[in-house]
Amino acid sequence: MPPSPRSVPEGMRPSTGAASVDMTVQLAGLTLRSPVMTASGTFASGHEYAEFVELERLGAIVTKGVSLEPWPGNDSPRIAETPSGMLNSIGLQNQGVEKFCEKQLARLGGVDVPVIVNVSGHSIAEYAAVVERLEQEPGVAGYEVNISCPNVDEGGMAFGVGCTPAAAVTRAVRDVTSRPLIVKLSPNVTDIAEIARAVEAEGADAVSLINTLLGMAIDPETRRPRLARVVGGLSGPAIRPVALRMVWQVAQAVALPVVGMGGIMTGEDAVEFMLAGAAAVAVGTANFVDPTSTRRVTDGLREYCVRHGVPRVRDLTGAMDQ
Amino acid sequence: MRTKPERAHPVLERVAVVANDRVTEGVGLLRLRAPRIAATVHSGQFIHLRIAVGADFILRRPFAVHRRDGDVIEVLYRVAGRGTHDLETKRTGQEMDAIGPLGRGWEPGEVSSALLVAGGIGAAPLGMLAEDLAARGVAVSVALGAPSGERLVARGLFERVARRVGVVTEDGSEGETGLVTLLTARWLEQETFDVICACGPEGMARAVAEQARFARVPCLVSLERLMACGVGVCLSCVVSTTHGLKKACKHGPVFDAEEVVWDASESPQRA
Ligand SMILES: Cc1cc2nc3c(=O)[nH]c(=O)nc-3n(C[C@H](O)[C@H](O)[C@H](O)COP(=O)(O)OP(=O)(O)OC[C@H]3O[C@@H](n4cnc5c(N)ncnc54)[C@H](O)[C@@H]3O)c2cc1C
Ligand SMILES: Cc1cc2nc3c(=O)[nH]c(=O)nc-3n(C[C@H](O)[C@H](O)[C@H](O)COP(=O)(O)O)c2cc1C
Ligand code: FES
Repeated sequence: MPPSPRSVPEGMRPSTGAASVDMTVQLAGLTLRSPVMTASGTFASGHEYAEFVELERLGAIVTKGVSLEPWPGNDSPRIAETPSGMLNSIGLQNQGVEKFCEKQLARLGGVDVPVIVNVSGHSIAEYAAVVERLEQEPGVAGYEVNISCPNVDEGGMAFGVGCTPAAAVTRAVRDVTSRPLIVKLSPNVTDIAEIARAVEAEGADAVSLINTLLGMAIDPETRRPRLARVVGGLSGPAIRPVALRMVWQVAQAVALPVVGMGGIMTGEDAVEFMLAGAAAVAVGTANFVDPTSTRRVTDGLREYCVRHGVPRVRDLTGAMDQ
Repeated sequence: MRTKPERAHPVLERVAVVANDRVTEGVGLLRLRAPRIAATVHSGQFIHLRIAVGADFILRRPFAVHRRDGDVIEVLYRVAGRGTHDLETKRTGQEMDAIGPLGRGWEPGEVSSALLVAGGIGAAPLGMLAEDLAARGVAVSVALGAPSGERLVARGLFERVARRVGVVTEDGSEGETGLVTLLTARWLEQETFDVICACGPEGMARAVAEQARFARVPCLVSLERLMACGVGVCLSCVVSTTHGLKKACKHGPVFDAEEVVWDASESPQRA
């Protein structure tokens, strides 16, 4: 095998074979120029990271979760570092859909990249209401409906941990939009494939997974939980094997395209998710570690294809040899 | 009150260790060659440093820029846990990457006198401010507090540039015995200042802010919060203010004390 591209300094890898690999993928009716998207809540609406990466090279930007009214989020501390990852209990702090359209969406207007809005709600009606408002915005390419946030008391994950509520949210949103609809699944369930089938039956165009895994940490010195809310969502490389397993299970269970995420740090990590069945991938916590992560993952993915003579990146989807 | 100087965009820069020396028990001074960050940094801004690659702790660590010296920036750090423990072992020539300059630093505006108040390692973000103010001809007074004499940092720097430096230690091993607010209370009674800039344990910053309000002196405080991204994305670093939640990494770390809604549970500092 040729030497690993890991030995080349970050952000300085040559884009060898840029022309020779077709990096486009199809997702829920969208053609993405690359399978590498951003994970909701880890890229805001892109502008902070525009200093470090070209937004136009992303497959899509997935925004922070948006609700109907402003949400204050949870008390602090909201994060805790854990081995190879972090816990967060941000609690979907956001300014509400109206401000979101006015500020974030307007700023993304000039950027040539599909914008997928991540939608949250306390109730089924709220999810639908947020999407109805966003339907008036031409700059929205599609939705990622978050039925899996572990950080809000009502709503959020409650919808994602049972087939009936997951199906109901999907149906309610499907009824108000014909735009691409991705449903984001929770890993905090016994059988994630069953939930995926339920949302497929109600008209989802794709599923994305995983959201964070419920976890906690305690400071032994103070005997207090490290998060004000005690429990929070684990993300980062620590969850990658679990995420990969779930992507593989879901890809087998449904015909829908799958967006895979959970601890992706490098191009090779993205390759793993695609081989397990993902049509596209999202980079989350890695952005905090290295703001050029999306570029590194994209370049790494392309180099892998060059190295292995893969003409189209989409040929990797589900191509694990068994 | 605060003027808003143009803030340069942060950059991601490979920085090289020029020197890393112990200055006192558990405190080190790191000199980093960082031409791009050094070119635009303002006092009170910080860098987000990736200390280890391949270790099982992955997040960056935020540090104030203590001083700027040409192409070099200095970080004064207290060994507090795994990251700073690793930092202590860095040798000349080793490289890391840093994002910076980040956040909003000290923006005292046009003043002719300033009172700087530092608690322990809280002196770190005040070094460059003291130098800049002194260079502009501002009369700088510095009140330095620490649990003990060994925990006093940056005294030499302040003594070089300030008109006056007062020292208070809790155990009385150096200077007066007690808390730094003992000294600031007395100075504020005796004379007036155009601005107070404070950094230290949040309880200290809050006490100084109360004295400042009583004395009707504008007060800026630099606050610490847990930070994941450092660039305004993740919402982990929020500070409660009279204008709602603000991000310490973007709207801070320096805040107008009047707008801070003090909430000890937000501070990452262990007593
Ligand atoms: C804007 C800003 C500027 C700072 N400037 C300085 C400085 O100039 N000198 C200095 O010594 N320290 C400074 N700190 C504090 C410094 O960031 C922490 O001491 C350091 O992150 C501890 O890392 P660790 O791995 O050694 O500790 P650990 O306890 O192992 O760290 C675990 C996690 O908690 C975070 N953390 C722990 N303590 C703090 C803290 N007090 N503030 C923020 N995050 C914390 C770490 O970043 C890490 O994510 C600053 C903090 C902020 C927010
Ligand atoms: C700080 C933070 C905020 C997040 N906010 C959201 C959110 O608003 N909506 C959502 O669907 N997922 C959110 N997530 C989950 C991520 O999008 C992603 O599913 C998860 O972190 C796993 O990927 P990673 O390991 O690459 O981070 C958030 C994650 C983090 C770390
Ligand atoms: S550290 Fe991420 S928003 Fe401030």
